[in-house]
Amino acid sequence: MSFLHDLVVEPFGYEFMQRGLASALLLSVSGGLLGSVLVLRRLALMGDALTHSLLPGVALAWMLLGQGPLAMLVGALAAGLITVLGSALLSRLTRLKEDAAFGSFFLVAYAAGIAMVSQAGTRIDLLHFLFGNILGVGPSDLGLTAAAAGVTLAAFLLAYRGIVLEVFDPTFSRAAGMRGGWFYAGFLSLAVLNLVAALQTMGVILALGLFLLPAATAYLWCDRFGTMLGLSVAVGMVGSTSGLTMSYHTGLSSGPAIVLCLGAGFLGSALGSPRYGLLSSAKRAWRERRSIRHTTD
Amino acid sequence: MAGHDIFRLRDVTVHYGNRAALEGVTTQIPCGALVALVGPNGAGKSTLLRALLGWLPLTRGEIRLGDKHPSHLNPRLAYLPQRLEVDWDFPISVREVVAQGRWPSLGLFGRFTAAEWERVDRALEELDLTALAGEQIRRLSGGQQQRMFLARAVAQGADIFLLDEPFNGLDLAASAELLHLFRRWLGQGRTVIAAIHDLPLVRTHFSNAVLLDTHLIAAGPTIETLSDQNLDLAYHRRIPVLGARP
Repeated sequence: MSFLHDLVVEPFGYEFMQRGLASALLLSVSGGLLGSVLVLRRLALMGDALTHSLLPGVALAWMLLGQGPLAMLVGALAAGLITVLGSALLSRLTRLKEDAAFGSFFLVAYAAGIAMVSQAGTRIDLLHFLFGNILGVGPSDLGLTAAAAGVTLAAFLLAYRGIVLEVFDPTFSRAAGMRGGWFYAGFLSLAVLNLVAALQTMGVILALGLFLLPAATAYLWCDRFGTMLGLSVAVGMVGSTSGLTMSYHTGLSSGPAIVLCLGAGFLGSALGSPRYGLLSSAKRAWRERRSIRHTTD
Repeated sequence: MAGHDIFRLRDVTVHYGNRAALEGVTTQIPCGALVALVGPNGAGKSTLLRALLGWLPLTRGEIRLGDKHPSHLNPRLAYLPQRLEVDWDFPISVREVVAQGRWPSLGLFGRFTAAEWERVDRALEELDLTALAGEQIRRLSGGQQQRMFLARAVAQGADIFLLDEPFNGLDLAASAELLHLFRRWLGQGRTVIAAIHDLPLVRTHFSNAVLLDTHLIAAGPTIETLSDQNLDLAYHRRIPVLGARP
């Protein structure tokens, strides 16, 4: 019992760990919801690119306006908007396709961001930026995270039918009089808002982990959209709690620790999911081959 | 043709950039008929369907549905695109897809009552999908997938079905089933307007045809519309090498 106490209960006796945990649990809510759309709409790589491109905006805001969640949010929104609009413009007006335009844009933005952070010298810790630092989650950060999660949850509750239609069948959605442009603008704003909220805990690079991995894991288990949303959130919560525990005991940054825990769940599901896992499809293929051999014998 | 006209088109012209996709089409489409849109590739069949839905700005002319302009909020209209481009791995059941048919009239917040579910289940039954209602949609055959979307249109309360190449990719049995369904709908006063490549199929099964080649070549009862002379006008110029009529 005391071993279990030391392992799980003790870490969360500290205030900074409680704040970190609260932040991670809140992010699991919005991450699971937005991640499900990301996975089903095949936007995972775009999300990755978007995350990286936020760095220069955040760094610039930090240097000019100081360290505060609002400044970071403004910087990130600007950087995200420039990346999205810039690459959309490039792919429309030149022969470049969307992925090449987006990929090039985010690489340049990312490099510019790293240059800025390095130039700022000791004032900003690059590692902190890239991988997250649970110690840095202040009360105002927690406020931003709570707001982001609340807005996201409200959006999903209010527009559930519109979201399902827009993700599943945009043509029908259009016939029903819904506007796809609003969906994308809304989705992108929510994504940027939550990514910024996730920066402290997860870091720039791994922030997407709390969005993508829980949803990808849930997708391997569910045949209903509503169930997938709920399971994604639950997976995110379990993964981030165990990740923070691991981070406390090993001294590993919170971002990688959470992603490693989520990753274990994901790989386990990819192997062992009874319907959509590797093992089950290998078993099916083997059985089919054997039955063919039997019938030809 | 008995009955009245469901669509009246006057001088309907649609341009994509500088290119005319439809030019000065004036015709009527009768209510409760099985109407085929026929013409070579690029003749404007899909454009006409989308114009009837009210999705395209007309460069010139006017379309009237009954005595109104068509708009995409009209639940009487159902549209099935040429390729059903949904993600078949989407975590959703057949019954849930059909239930989406009720959403346009319920809006974002309208409560899904028992009466609504009853409509959904009746639509499933009409399209012979009751046994598959709980299945994830990947497990349906091509014909069943198409019937699922038709069931959604029925649940929506549609009585005018605009279908783009509905027989593409269907095997013989599935095609026969679809034709059977169309004939039953006809008896119920529903209207089917479908873009179709297969001329023999149109001749045998469709009461009316609209023959297009950007311009309207002919429209009316199928036999007269698809006369040798009209088909020459629509197709011959395009395939001089083959020389023969399709």
